[in-house]
Amino acid sequence: MENLQIEAKKSSPEIDFNAQTNILLIKGESYPENTVLFYEPVFQWLETYIESLEDEKVVFNIELIYFNSSSSKVLMDLFDTLEEACEDGKSIIVNWIYDEENEASQEYGEEFAEDMDALSFNLVEK
Amino acid sequence: MIDLYDYKKGLQEDGIIFSFSGPMSHEIIEGIGSAIRVKIGEGEDGDRKAALKVFAIFVEQVENVINYSVEKDSEDSQLSFGIVVIGKKDGSFFISGGNKIYTQKVPTLRTNLEKLTHMNKDELKVYYKEKRKAAKEGDSKGAGIGFIEMARKSTKPIEYSFEDIDKDYSFFTIKISI
Repeated sequence: MENLQIEAKKSSPEIDFNAQTNILLIKGESYPENTVLFYEPVFQWLETYIESLEDEKVVFNIELIYFNSSSSKVLMDLFDTLEEACEDGKSIIVNWIYDEENEASQEYGEEFAEDMDALSFNLVEK
Repeated sequence: MIDLYDYKKGLQEDGIIFSFSGPMSHEIIEGIGSAIRVKIGEGEDGDRKAALKVFAIFVEQVENVINYSVEKDSEDSQLSFGIVVIGKKDGSFFISGGNKIYTQKVPTLRTNLEKLTHMNKDELKVYYKEKRKAAKEGDSKGAGIGFIEMARKSTKPIEYSFEDIDKDYSFFTIKISI
């Protein structure tokens, strides 16, 4: 399977999904002009990727300095997708990486973590 | 020749750091947003936490104008007109946004906003998570949780008003304090 790489822009994050190492990364800021349009290829790739998974251990690193409310909705959809995959027996862990000075990011991470059950959701201070 | 000095002095007296009235676009968020973050977050008395909060509210307010203002050059124009103001008074920041809406939308919007003003932080959190889980609302172009997001970041209840323009249109203003 091909990797997915999208360069970071001012209002959209870097996407680096590697199907060989099984390390996935979303990093930067997220307030794109059209949130749904920006994340469409991300979800499409993930769907195929998750289907192809057998017993690989997947590490999903998320390091967002800022995201707007429509990105927050997208992140929730993303974690729901990963949660479902884990319920299905896939092995995925999320590392929510935040800067110690960024209280908001920490709080949002904690709130996402509260809603996850099958998915391991770690809060990682940089 | 128009003299803007009096206008500028007026803004300064009201503690206004930044003011924009006109057509809004995503580029405004990116460009002016960066300047706001530098202005508030850096330098000797820079406050990075406040800068990020002010920026977050600014983004939601400009997006509201872009998505919901009914003042446009034409029906399918990408540019929506509105106003956003950022200021600092008595040690706290305020971000106000305004745009023209259909008067028939006022009752629903008023009910939604009034509900938020009566919620405490914990109730807002629960409501936010509930709304985020739910499917998109009818004509909502964003996630429909922008106001809850703003209310959660605000240090006091959100303030808002509706001014009649004519029988079809009203002017909506929202103010968030940090």
